[in-house]
Amino acid sequence: MTDGPVVDEPMVDEPMIDKPMIDKPVVVERDREHRALGLMLAPYVLGIVALVLIPFLVTIVMAFADYDLVRAPSWVGLDNFVELADDPIFRAALSNSLLFAAIAVPLRLVIALGLALLLHRRAAAVGTARTAAMLPYAVPEIAYGLLWLWLLNPLYGPINQLLRVGGENGATVLGRTPPQWLTDPVDARAAIILMSLFTIGETFVILLATRRALPGEVYELAAIEDATGWDVVRRVTLPLMAPVLVLLLLRDAILSLQISFVPALVVTDGGPPPYSTTYLSLFVYRNAFEYLRYGYAAAATAVMLLLTLAAVALQWRLVRRLRWLGRT
Amino acid sequence: MTLSSQPSRLLALLLFAVSAVGLAACAGGAEGANDGTGPVQLLVFGAPEELEAYRTLVAAYEVAEPGAEVQLVEASDREDLIARLGTSIAGGSPPDLFLMNYRYYGQFAATDAIEPLDERIAASDVVDPDAYYPTAMNAFQWQDRQLCLPQNVSSLAVYYNRDLFEQYDVAEPPADWTWSDLLTTAIATTRDAGGAVVRGTESEGGPPQVAVYGLGIEPTIIRVAPFVWSNGGEIVDDLDRPTRFTLDTPAAREALQNIIDLRIAYGVIPTDAEVEAEDDETRFLNGRLAMLMSSRRFTTTLRASAGFDWDVASLPVYANQVGVLHSDAYCMTRGSGRKDAAWRFLEYAMSADGQRTTAATGRTVPSMIEVSTSSSFLDPTLPPANAQVFLDAIATVRPLPTISTWPELEDVTAGILENALYRGDRLDDAIREIDELTRPIFARGEHAAD
Repeated sequence: MTDGPVVDEPMVDEPMIDKPMIDKPVVVERDREHRALGLMLAPYVLGIVALVLIPFLVTIVMAFADYDLVRAPSWVGLDNFVELADDPIFRAALSNSLLFAAIAVPLRLVIALGLALLLHRRAAAVGTARTAAMLPYAVPEIAYGLLWLWLLNPLYGPINQLLRVGGENGATVLGRTPPQWLTDPVDARAAIILMSLFTIGETFVILLATRRALPGEVYELAAIEDATGWDVVRRVTLPLMAPVLVLLLLRDAILSLQISFVPALVVTDGGPPPYSTTYLSLFVYRNAFEYLRYGYAAAATAVMLLLTLAAVALQWRLVRRLRWLGRT
Repeated sequence: MTLSSQPSRLLALLLFAVSAVGLAACAGGAEGANDGTGPVQLLVFGAPEELEAYRTLVAAYEVAEPGAEVQLVEASDREDLIARLGTSIAGGSPPDLFLMNYRYYGQFAATDAIEPLDERIAASDVVDPDAYYPTAMNAFQWQDRQLCLPQNVSSLAVYYNRDLFEQYDVAEPPADWTWSDLLTTAIATTRDAGGAVVRGTESEGGPPQVAVYGLGIEPTIIRVAPFVWSNGGEIVDDLDRPTRFTLDTPAAREALQNIIDLRIAYGVIPTDAEVEAEDDETRFLNGRLAMLMSSRRFTTTLRASAGFDWDVASLPVYANQVGVLHSDAYCMTRGSGRKDAAWRFLEYAMSADGQRTTAATGRTVPSMIEVSTSSSFLDPTLPPANAQVFLDAIATVRPLPTISTWPELEDVTAGILENALYRGDRLDDAIREIDELTRPIFARGEHAAD
């Protein structure tokens, strides 16, 4: 034991006198681990800083500047945001994006969940069915867009050809005109949502793995208690999968601002007029790369980021509220 | 197993090294692309047949100048070309040359991204400005500097399927035809599958069953402009420093209404669904369109793919014969690392030999006066037989304004005109909407005359 200074030392469980003798090799070992961890993380940290963090900061700064990529940027304060507020094309893009997210995100999740619950058991051809569910996700985006351009062709596309079977004079069997996917604003928005419903492969795989990992005992217990199938889904499966579902919901809400870009660019070209399928991502692309208005596009991107944050925060609060209600 | 074990450390070091090398390679690649070595890069876009024309020119140059190398960088369309050009300029690695229409080069001219060519032209033994059509040369002058050199000069023309005209016993367009003649001809050549004249408008009996439409025309400002001018109207309030479209004048409005009536009242042009299903050029190539308004660029495609006899006619007129300028030019980027080599190619492309080579592919009406009147362009063995139409139009062509925001203006107006043409939106509403949406865009623009 040592003299006086001992009374000023913090309270510890072990005698201080033993610490240096025991900790020295542990500390060295821990330092080595930290160094190795640091080295292993370095490429990713470098990538995140160079490809995400710096562009993010540059974008935020650029949002307050007039910049055409060639001449030096000039500071314009909030002008870009003021112009955005008055821009009817931006407003159309904003409402299109929100509508897309509000419809496509829950639909994508419900379909992926349905498929996961349907295909999690071993059964005949279940492997083929899982592959089929996954396949559209594996197709390159541009190829996927071009494929749909053909599928949605108003006259020669297989979808409308099928809808016309049994009808007369180019109408469906119900006597109605088939959807004008590329020329009617409502139908075109529906087409973009329809396209997004097939690229759920990743969500499906995550939910499939989650469902397969659920403990079998709870289902046996439910069977003993004569629970109906719907009760099992509602009271056992969904609560157990809830954390993953929430995560995927948040992820898809963020992604929704991006996944509409290629379909809108390749299939509908932002139309039919006026800007029926111009989403925020396409608005940003056009202003930045076609009109060389990078400052303006950066301001629109900042709004996109704010929207994403708001969507995530809203859902997070909703989930916490639901959990609280569940507990009480 | 602990992270501090030897294999983990080695893996970490390896990952770090690979990342560092990768980043260095990326950085090196970006610099190396424009360090003055390697081939001259020429950025272009076009249909496959047009791209083949440029490849022919490059091949001819490489034969004429042994050791010289030109790399064609092919963009998928105009938007892709602008995106590539803008980002490559910002990245410090632009192509040495690019080919661009006078309507779109303003946004790069305004940003000083294009190298002025006046000094090189003055010192050149090959490029004599007086040898080219002044209309085309002037279109590429920005603030009194010659920024680009025009490869071609053309006007809108009416391509027509001679076989269909003969089959339907309809007279071919005369040299001095009017808008009324065009309408009559379009009505006479809009037929059903049985060959009977049919009106392609919606009726109670269901959608029209039109096998051949009389005319194809895009609802865009460049298609509308010559008819507005011919009727005595104007497109903008001031060609040098435009502040607004002037489509609300009686003359402009009448010309616009007549174009809209082609679809809404007479049904002689395809519906929007039909255009989406099969664009006008493809429809014409497939023999389901009797006439199509397009520029010279369509000739290469027709020569390569048309399985029928075809020709061209001049634009119909209201009061005055007026055409609209179509011209593309070679521009040199200010950031090019191979300006001298690029200029040597440019000199060749603008020389009589270069212009003959491109003209022979059918792609261009040569901007060099001497070549345009030679057999290289007016080859009687190749269609169109009436190629003189393109030359006759040059004296009457007018340019659209050169303003840095023109691509935005075209995009905004196209959507509104499309709805007026295909959906029947009220013309006055369309004109008002165009005015409201485009005034701020005009206000942001920089002008060649400033």
